Amino acid sequence: MPFLLLTIVESKAMLISFPYINRDTPIHRLDPRAKLILLFLFGLAAAQTSNFWFILIGFIFAAFYYSLAQLKWSETKRVWYFIIALNVMLVVFNYFLSAGSVVQGVDLTHQHVLFSIPFIGFSGKPPFFVPKPLIFSVESITFMITQGLRNFAIAMLAIPIPFTTHPGLMGIAFKGMGVSDRFAYAIDLSFRFLPSVTRDFGTTLDAQRARGFEIDKLSGGIFSKIAKLAPMVVPVVIGSVVGAEDIINAMELRCFGMGKRSWLTVLHPRLVDRVVITLTLAAFFAITLLNILGNFYSAGFLHVLHVQGIPQFLIP
Amino acid sequence: MAVTEERSPAKIWGIGVRQIVYMALGAALYGGLSWVTNIIQIPSAGNVSFRPAIVIPLFFGAVFGPWVGLFTGGIGNLLGDYISGYGIYWNWDIGNALIGFIAGLAMLVTWGRYNNSRNILIAEVFAAIGIVVGIGFAAYNDIWISKLSFATASIGELLPAAGSDLINGLILLPILLVAYNAAVRRYGRA
Repeated sequence: MPFLLLTIVESKAMLISFPYINRDTPIHRLDPRAKLILLFLFGLAAAQTSNFWFILIGFIFAAFYYSLAQLKWSETKRVWYFIIALNVMLVVFNYFLSAGSVVQGVDLTHQHVLFSIPFIGFSGKPPFFVPKPLIFSVESITFMITQGLRNFAIAMLAIPIPFTTHPGLMGIAFKGMGVSDRFAYAIDLSFRFLPSVTRDFGTTLDAQRARGFEIDKLSGGIFSKIAKLAPMVVPVVIGSVVGAEDIINAMELRCFGMGKRSWLTVLHPRLVDRVVITLTLAAFFAITLLNILGNFYSAGFLHVLHVQGIPQFLIP
Repeated sequence: MAVTEERSPAKIWGIGVRQIVYMALGAALYGGLSWVTNIIQIPSAGNVSFRPAIVIPLFFGAVFGPWVGLFTGGIGNLLGDYISGYGIYWNWDIGNALIGFIAGLAMLVTWGRYNNSRNILIAEVFAAIGIVVGIGFAAYNDIWISKLSFATASIGELLPAAGSDLINGLILLPILLVAYNAAVRRYGRA
């Protein structure tokens, strides 16, 4: 009986549900195009600098944006556990693997060392890897904090999108950003296919289990185990491809693609959407211009994106 | 009865109703299978994780063309992250799109026909190149976006992701191509 209940629960888990939560918040009301443009341009802008203060401002803004989405911890904790673990691992792993040489925006020959730990480093002559202390300085710790803040800021703009945007609006949002009608319709269609595809996976998995196929008890070496996944993958893929012929015929009979297509849903940007997009574009261009000008000036405000911006009292 | 096979650039580069539907289907299959294999938690072996979903953009690209492969990889990866709640990470979406697109370039040589070992081997070669280029794009892009070092991008992202994808994809792709051949012969469609 417990085995039967477990099987039923697992089958029900194959019924996919989108993470979208229907709620009335400023981020829910924001046009999907504004959210996507904000995410994309924020990432590109944040990639252009390692200045702690600029990244901190971006992080504060992203945190404010995330708070407006009013997402509960219970709704997003699984995602955040993954993001936090990945971010911490990447930042720490990155510093150790580069032996501290990845720090940007600072002269590494004049670091303000706090402490060092025994480590190995690369040398130009045999045996090539020699004991070398791994230095932790004000500059390197600031760099790692900046790196972490940047990644979390991008995550805080990315995570609200699936929770606050109805999946039916994604196709029309891409259409509104200049994607052609056909590709936008394909995006819309792919969201519609998703529930039936995952249901087919569940059904196929159950059918194969009835024939003795246990996906969590695959035997043999790595190559053999992967090949044994075929009974789960092949029937669904081939069945879907063959079944798609009926959909193709139905669409052709309805003259799909013969003329300009109209959409059931039309996105009407409000003033706040236009303001968000305009400010995002302006900020991105300003940061890009400042970044380019910083290559021609070695000091002063125009060079600010190329330095870490550590206050003097921290590095006497 | 003789069967004439259309061999024109339109078969490879054209985007008609058929390609639109296969794009959408491929993206849904890639996103859905990624989500399913995350839910099922298949035990991995050593450092290789089970990612059978990677075969979807490789297969759809090889059989239906580079544009279908590009859409399947890019939008499929977006869908997989979307339904898992992770959000949208454009550099990994573009990387996966490149995987499908390059795998689809095999059609320039094979014309979408995989009824012999030579053509299947060509598909495998293009698939391998696609995986390395696509994952490489996404991983090395993180050098700029996340300020990773070259070593971290290579060892921390490229090697595990491309390694797993290569092993999973290259094993499952010929199986899927052979099964597709059998289905096409049975249903009389090509």
